[in-house]
Amino acid sequence: MGGDRVMNTRPDKDAVKNGKAKKTGVVAGLILLGVLLVALPPFMNPYGESMITQILIFSVFAMGLNIVVGYTGLFSMGHAAFFGVAGYTAGIMMVHYGIESFWIIAPASIVLATLFAALFGIISLRVSGLYFLFVTLALGELLHSVAWKWRSMTGGADGLTGIPYPSLGLPFIMNATHFYYLVLIIFVVCVGLLYRIVKSPFGSALQGIREDEHRMRHLGYNTWMYKYLAFIIAGFFSGISGMLFASFANVMAPEHLGVHTATLAVLMIILGSDRVFFGPIIGAAIVLFLQYYASTFAPERWPLILGAVFVLSVMFLRGGISAHLIKLWNKMGSHHASTKT
Amino acid sequence: MAELVIHILNGISYGMILFLLASGLSFIIGVMGILNLTHGSLYMIGAYVGLTLAGMGGNFWLAALAGGVITAVIGLILERTFFRFLYKQINEQVLLTLGFVYIFSNLALWVWGPFPKIASAPTYLAHSIAIGSFSFPVYRFALIVIGLIIGAGMWWFQERTKIGAIVRAGMDDKEMTMGLGINYGIIASSTLCLGAFLGGLAGFLGAPILGAQSDMGFPILLLTLVVIVVGGEGSVEGALVGALLVGIIDAFGRAFFPDLAMFTVYAILIAFLLVKPSGLFGRR
Repeated sequence: MGGDRVMNTRPDKDAVKNGKAKKTGVVAGLILLGVLLVALPPFMNPYGESMITQILIFSVFAMGLNIVVGYTGLFSMGHAAFFGVAGYTAGIMMVHYGIESFWIIAPASIVLATLFAALFGIISLRVSGLYFLFVTLALGELLHSVAWKWRSMTGGADGLTGIPYPSLGLPFIMNATHFYYLVLIIFVVCVGLLYRIVKSPFGSALQGIREDEHRMRHLGYNTWMYKYLAFIIAGFFSGISGMLFASFANVMAPEHLGVHTATLAVLMIILGSDRVFFGPIIGAAIVLFLQYYASTFAPERWPLILGAVFVLSVMFLRGGISAHLIKLWNKMGSHHASTKT
Repeated sequence: MAELVIHILNGISYGMILFLLASGLSFIIGVMGILNLTHGSLYMIGAYVGLTLAGMGGNFWLAALAGGVITAVIGLILERTFFRFLYKQINEQVLLTLGFVYIFSNLALWVWGPFPKIASAPTYLAHSIAIGSFSFPVYRFALIVIGLIIGAGMWWFQERTKIGAIVRAGMDDKEMTMGLGINYGIIASSTLCLGAFLGGLAGFLGAPILGAQSDMGFPILLLTLVVIVVGGEGSVEGALVGALLVGIIDAFGRAFFPDLAMFTVYAILIAFLLVKPSGLFGRR
């Protein structure tokens, strides 16, 4: 394994050229995808639009969470807590207090979610391994039971209903298409931020901690601080996603804080691939498409299908779908290159 | 005073159900290193299988045993087809077993319907006795006795038999144990079967007081994890003490702070993980 990696990093003219070509290919693909996402709404029915909005929202959640799960290698079962805190904050502000301005709601809910992440991070990072998993799980379920009991604010088990779209303070009333564009803009900004984080020395240090925390500590890294920051960053993006989700779904329910939502995001990561930057987007798309079709054809069997997806992706799709796609792509690329020469 | 006694007895009898679940899961985690989140689902399946057999006129205790045997078989199938490929991969284990939690609870919903069912205790245990001005079901006493007997049996097995010694050795140092020429795989599989059996047994034994419902697997799994963390993994006496503690605290919580019922339990879990992550009787 290690030997292979050393071989591959040796500078090789063809490889560099290939790499460059691949990079321009990826960039071109991204631009094409961007143009498509911007131009598509007029040609889509409401279902398609709502589907893509949902995929973008959950992609922010899953990609942000991947900073902790994939890059740092900490399996958090509690980040739905921050998704839910932001969603409930936004919902409560709009439903109970009549504050509808996006410019107040967004910062308030995201800051609160990030503060919760800062607090929960201190608690859960005191332990590691299996116990880290238990603590994050328990903290999420703790908030779940708070949302369940605090009926006057959260609506209890029925959920907080009637959450509207936020208002941007612009001279039009927000509709589903406007909201789609808002989500798209936020998504693009988040992906840009996440890319910067992942490619920074900080991102490399996180991966170093995943591979060998001892060594990183002996190299002088304060690994606890790195893990803690990763935990908070993921909480921040979970918050952004939750804030958007509240308006998208019109409703927040206790389960959005708990283990069900948290593991759904982890499933998106694992299914899409936790080692590929864009992987969680593909995972989110697959899970949400399946959910959509299941809710159309066999709503009462959705948990069964979801469970099967969990099992299949663990047993047969190690490394995630994106990793397999990239392998396929590279194979085709190298085949193409070899026929040329 | 009598009310206090009632709450304590309620807590102890509920604690016995938790003990059966936690001692099994605790050994599965300790011996195999498999975090089997389907343990609560096996409990649910045991309850439903027992209910079905008892409903067809079967003997109560045989129905309970049958529930346990069937869950043991399911556990063995899971281990042979899935878990054995996932040793030491905690993340994958969590996702896989969580997937099965969804699958089992949806299948149970399909087969047995959405309404909670309750089992009836055998007729000679179905009456109540008076404690002060309260009446207390005799069946709960029977549960306490059964729990203590099984607990004593497990303790004897773990501390006084050769296989128990192998199990303890394996929990402390698996490589060294295998290096001594011991076929640890069989021990591990049997541990999983035994744990699954106890889980299924607990399901039907608890059904006269707790009922059966398709989504009851996950909440009781969380309580079981709390018990394991409090008691320490891989220890019979730890599971017993932890289960009694959680059972009693839960009973008092329900009686005096019904709004905070689950809250108190999670608070205990978090406090223990932070202050004493190895638990009261942990091996580490």
